[in-house]
Amino acid sequence: MLGTDVKVAIASLRRTKWRSGLAMFGIIIGIVSVVTIVSLGEGMKKQIVGQINRLGSDLITVKPGKSVTRDNNGNITKVHIASNIGFGTGSLAQKDYDTIKDTPNIDIAVPISLISTNAKIGDRQYDDGNIIGTNQDLPAALRQKISYGSFFTANESKKRVAIIGKAVAEKFFQEDVPIGMAFDIHGSEFVVIGVFDKFETAPLGLSTDYNKSIFIPYEAGRDLTGNNNQLAQILVRPKDSSQIGALISMLNKRLGEAHDNQNDFTILKQDENLTVTGDILNLLTGFIAGIAAISLIVGGVGIMNIMLVAVTERTREIGIRKAVGATNYQILRQFMIESTVLSVVGGLAGIILSLLSNYIIRISSNFKPAITWQIIFLATAVSLIIGIIFGITPAIKAASRDPIEALRYE
Amino acid sequence: MPIIDLKEISKLYGFGDATTVALDEIDLVIEPGEFVAVMGPSGSGKSTLMNIIGLLDRPTHGNYILGNHAVARLRSNQRAKVRRDKIGFVFQSFNLLPRLNVLENVAIPLSYKNITLMRRLKRASLMLDRVGLADREYFMPRQLSGGQLQRAAIARALINDPNIIIADEPTGNLDSNSSRVVMELLRELHQSGNTILMVTHNPELTRYASRVVYMHDGSIVHDETTPIGEVPKIAKKIMALFPRKTEEDDLAGVSALMNALPHKVIAKKTRKKVKPRRTSKRKTKSKRSKR
Repeated sequence: MLGTDVKVAIASLRRTKWRSGLAMFGIIIGIVSVVTIVSLGEGMKKQIVGQINRLGSDLITVKPGKSVTRDNNGNITKVHIASNIGFGTGSLAQKDYDTIKDTPNIDIAVPISLISTNAKIGDRQYDDGNIIGTNQDLPAALRQKISYGSFFTANESKKRVAIIGKAVAEKFFQEDVPIGMAFDIHGSEFVVIGVFDKFETAPLGLSTDYNKSIFIPYEAGRDLTGNNNQLAQILVRPKDSSQIGALISMLNKRLGEAHDNQNDFTILKQDENLTVTGDILNLLTGFIAGIAAISLIVGGVGIMNIMLVAVTERTREIGIRKAVGATNYQILRQFMIESTVLSVVGGLAGIILSLLSNYIIRISSNFKPAITWQIIFLATAVSLIIGIIFGITPAIKAASRDPIEALRYE
Repeated sequence: MPIIDLKEISKLYGFGDATTVALDEIDLVIEPGEFVAVMGPSGSGKSTLMNIIGLLDRPTHGNYILGNHAVARLRSNQRAKVRRDKIGFVFQSFNLLPRLNVLENVAIPLSYKNITLMRRLKRASLMLDRVGLADREYFMPRQLSGGQLQRAAIARALINDPNIIIADEPTGNLDSNSSRVVMELLRELHQSGNTILMVTHNPELTRYASRVVYMHDGSIVHDETTPIGEVPKIAKKIMALFPRKTEEDDLAGVSALMNALPHKVIAKKTRKKVKPRRTSKRKTKSKRSKR
């Protein structure tokens, strides 16, 4: 019976195409924005998971600032979002790197320092990305291949050489393989000796985009800016990945001692990194999706408005239907089905438009939004619920019309 | 056993001093197979009586037995079900839904029972055939003439095989040719055993009825059984006084009819205030023409 009722509702909505279309508009906009935002968030999470999986679970990240709170068992209880989005304090320095490097059971330790200056070729300045001072183990720590040329070796740690990300080659050097080309950092001439493969990056990544970075030897960088280089990160891999827990406690202890037991640094395993970024992303997408959801409420009110108009317009129809035997419930049901059909059709149109916007985002940016079945199901359910909630009032109004009055209505 | 049995049915509107009596302790018994014509001036309570018999309205006091069931005190949803199964309405203004085709219109009452769409349309089609509109099934109401519309409305009233057909001035919006066609149809239905209750202003139409009831100020003031094909005595008087030309003549005729009735009955009833009703034919008609 429901099928027939839905058909009747669709037929009745088709008779007022313009009006129905406009009433759906709010729902369509709402669904498109919520679905797009949630799928962007999902996509980002997927990319980050992919990135982290590729880096391997035994990579340890040491960061400045206290970005998580842990309970006694070492589990994260709270993520400090501010210190994760660029407000980290510069509490890691050369000596911390030395401390870590000298810890037993460490395979590689890689410092990452941001050198706050720009690269230049003549008058052309590169300010899209960072200059990163690091050591020869960076490709191993990031598990990243070099497409052309090679990374610098331990012997070259004081040389003025640079390895660049793919985007730097295109944007700054305007060549695919700018090996041998020279550029200028802080008055010193550097020579490109290698180009990285494209890094799989997460857009809006809370970390630096390595594709846009220029990598120079750590000590060469220190020479440029003096000795007070602060470290943005130290990447560590243990010799034996089964000993990662013990190593982290050891690092915590040694760094803690070096910092006079101030907890102003954070050591994260990869899976914890995931938790931290996941939490931040959830918060962000939740917040924006919440704002977008307001338009769903507006859409619902639009549907309610149209249904109220329809009920008034069709007062006589209600009277006739009641006279020939429709119960209040049957009238209620007719109008509820109509508002729900309106809302769900709007929702489905919204989902289709979301798929389209998804495609456009994919081809025009490096975002990889992921529309999952859960999102589609959720959007359909939400539009169903909106149709029901905002259809109740008009339907009750219709059902409670007195048949005699309604029959007299002109 | 009577099909309709009204006992001391009253309908009051308002409270206290402002109370108006639309129906004043009406007793009316209708046997199966009767064709009852109800006459009376505007405001005499005809429509209120039809609404109560048709279960669109509840009486303030009194008992109403329809078939075997006391229906006066039913809740609105129960009344809706009784309307659906036992009562067929035919309105002056046809009241077909303009956006559904004729077949769908006729099938509407069935959609409130659990009947599949195919079977609904099949039954509606049979019913349309019966009223002579088999070739108009897929027409929209605006494509039909008044007489055809009213026949479709009668088909809708018949579709649930009701105990009684209530027709409120079924020819009020029709020209004389269409009126005749519709009345012939009602006559056929009557002959095949249907019970019909018809409100009319036209004394001529009482010819089709087996019984004529005259109302005034919420009471039944005259009740006369007449052989079919004959105009009852009092209606004849009016026709003699006012040969029928226009609707106004009809109305004037009804008023004259009331004056022709025994004076004391009228005098007794006119003391009561009666709520002005909006059922005047002229008003309805002018509104319709504006649309």
